[in-house]
Amino acid sequence: MRSRLGKRIRENVEAYLYLLPAFVVLGVFTFYPVVRAFQISLYRWPVIGAKTFVGFGNYLKLIGDRAFWMALRNTSYYVLGSVPITLALAILVAVLLNSRIRGRVIARVAFFIPYITPMVAATVVWRWIYDRDYGLLNYLLELLEKALGRVGLEVNLGPVDWLNRPELAIPILIIIGVWQYVGYQAIILLAGLQNIDRQYYDAAKVDGANAWHLFRHITVPLLTPQIFFLLIISIIGAFQLFTQVFILFVGNPGPRDSAMTIVFYIYEKAFREFYMGMASAAAYVLFGIIFLLTLIQFRLSRRWVFYGG
Amino acid sequence: MFLNALFTGLLRGLKRVSLYLMLLAVMAVMLLPFFWTITTSFKSPAEAQSYPPTWIPKQLRWQNYVEAWNAAPFGRYFLNSLFVATTTAIGGVITSVLAAYAFAKMNFFGKNFLFYLLVGTMMIPGQMLLVPNYLTIIRLRWYDTYQALIIPWIANVFGIFLLRQFFRTIPDELWDSAQIDGCSRFRFLWQFVVPLSRPALVTLFLFRFIGSWNAFLWVLIMTSREEMRTLPVGLYYFIGEAGTDYHLLTAAATFAMMPIIFLFLIAQRQFIQGVARTGIK
Repeated sequence: MRSRLGKRIRENVEAYLYLLPAFVVLGVFTFYPVVRAFQISLYRWPVIGAKTFVGFGNYLKLIGDRAFWMALRNTSYYVLGSVPITLALAILVAVLLNSRIRGRVIARVAFFIPYITPMVAATVVWRWIYDRDYGLLNYLLELLEKALGRVGLEVNLGPVDWLNRPELAIPILIIIGVWQYVGYQAIILLAGLQNIDRQYYDAAKVDGANAWHLFRHITVPLLTPQIFFLLIISIIGAFQLFTQVFILFVGNPGPRDSAMTIVFYIYEKAFREFYMGMASAAAYVLFGIIFLLTLIQFRLSRRWVFYGG
Repeated sequence: MFLNALFTGLLRGLKRVSLYLMLLAVMAVMLLPFFWTITTSFKSPAEAQSYPPTWIPKQLRWQNYVEAWNAAPFGRYFLNSLFVATTTAIGGVITSVLAAYAFAKMNFFGKNFLFYLLVGTMMIPGQMLLVPNYLTIIRLRWYDTYQALIIPWIANVFGIFLLRQFFRTIPDELWDSAQIDGCSRFRFLWQFVVPLSRPALVTLFLFRFIGSWNAFLWVLIMTSREEMRTLPVGLYYFIGEAGTDYHLLTAAATFAMMPIIFLFLIAQRQFIQGVARTGIK
């Protein structure tokens, strides 16, 4: 009896020793800063000088700040644009990759490369694709224009000054986002597709279902767990848009702040203007938004996500 | 009858061809930026800025790479990236192995609570923690040091989850018989569990390495001296200097992404399977 108790104590001690390294680091750099960020958000907190408690003053100041609303608007625009487009394309690509074809491995690798490429290097490349005078995109548009002209369709497609038009700032970021994540999402969906039992399709075909029916009533429902997972993580990711903006517009939030995002706002407040309190308040608003959206999605998921089968 | 068969055969062939064409078209769009970057990195300055652009460079100008490499301390950036990414990845694997083993195979007080605590942190946007972490780094006097770039990233929830899943598939009987032979738990972990889990460990190492190699905002904030910059941050400062010298910019971008793409190509199977397996559940 005694030795069994001793054994259990030993196991406890050993387990905690194993957890120690990970939890010390997580404690200092994840758990503690969650609390600390909230505390800082309640202070007027310049880097040098006295800190004064202001209650929810920083949050009220955010509400009055036009730049913050701009950031909220731009970020929402980006999320609403990039998340559904990426997911829809990823489903298409996954279905294509799932058909019995040659060169599947090469195709998978090709689709996946943008995801692992350093974002900074990739964005440098995109910056140049969007260049008004030497860019690839305007050149392709010109080729298209000529091709259309040859068949009698006169259109004027360019040159477009992609990087300097405020109304284009978020759309060109969406294109980069879709390009970067479509392959990653397709791989996850593909794993789901490969788990679907072929018998479902065979049985449905016997009943006279066509390709669209199969897709709509078998493929999509059985993929909903993957789709749900991707929605959650891609919304969280899209709300944190920063690096692409920073590189594409070389340290600026786009022409006339048209690509000011929430994280860019946090960065600017904290590390250019040194208002740590305001930056932390903005960070907590971001956390609140993400938390609420995730919670709502989990609630709604009961209605449409299909587990089992 | 024969005509009918011929017709359906033709139709099927046509469908097949259109499938390939569609796939090829999407692939071309995905890879075009890379193709264009690499070809431009070999063009002369005049050709890189000529209009209409050329698809294939008239001659291969390797000199661009030499010029770009020497235009900024890219050698130093490269070594920094390599050192930071390698140590972060190794450290990440070690802390994850230990914690994941405890969660997968041991019973201890507060196990569920700690596990849900980890699950909860996955919803926290990393950028939210920048300000307090910056203040912590300053207070530890780690600003502009390698510790600042490595230590905060050696523990990661994702790694613990991934390995926990894997360790759970190892049968308990193995541990029971090892125990009879007088093997300690710690030795069992390193001599049996770790070798058995090699694919998962390699996957985790790759993820952590690539994540660290690609990190930008953290390095931007936690360092100021040129000697401390990693490749992405160095590349960012280089954009400001190079302006529209696209032959140099594309050469620099190419050597910033090549190591990662190369690493990915040799380990692509493990990588893609890792994503497919851990993405869900």
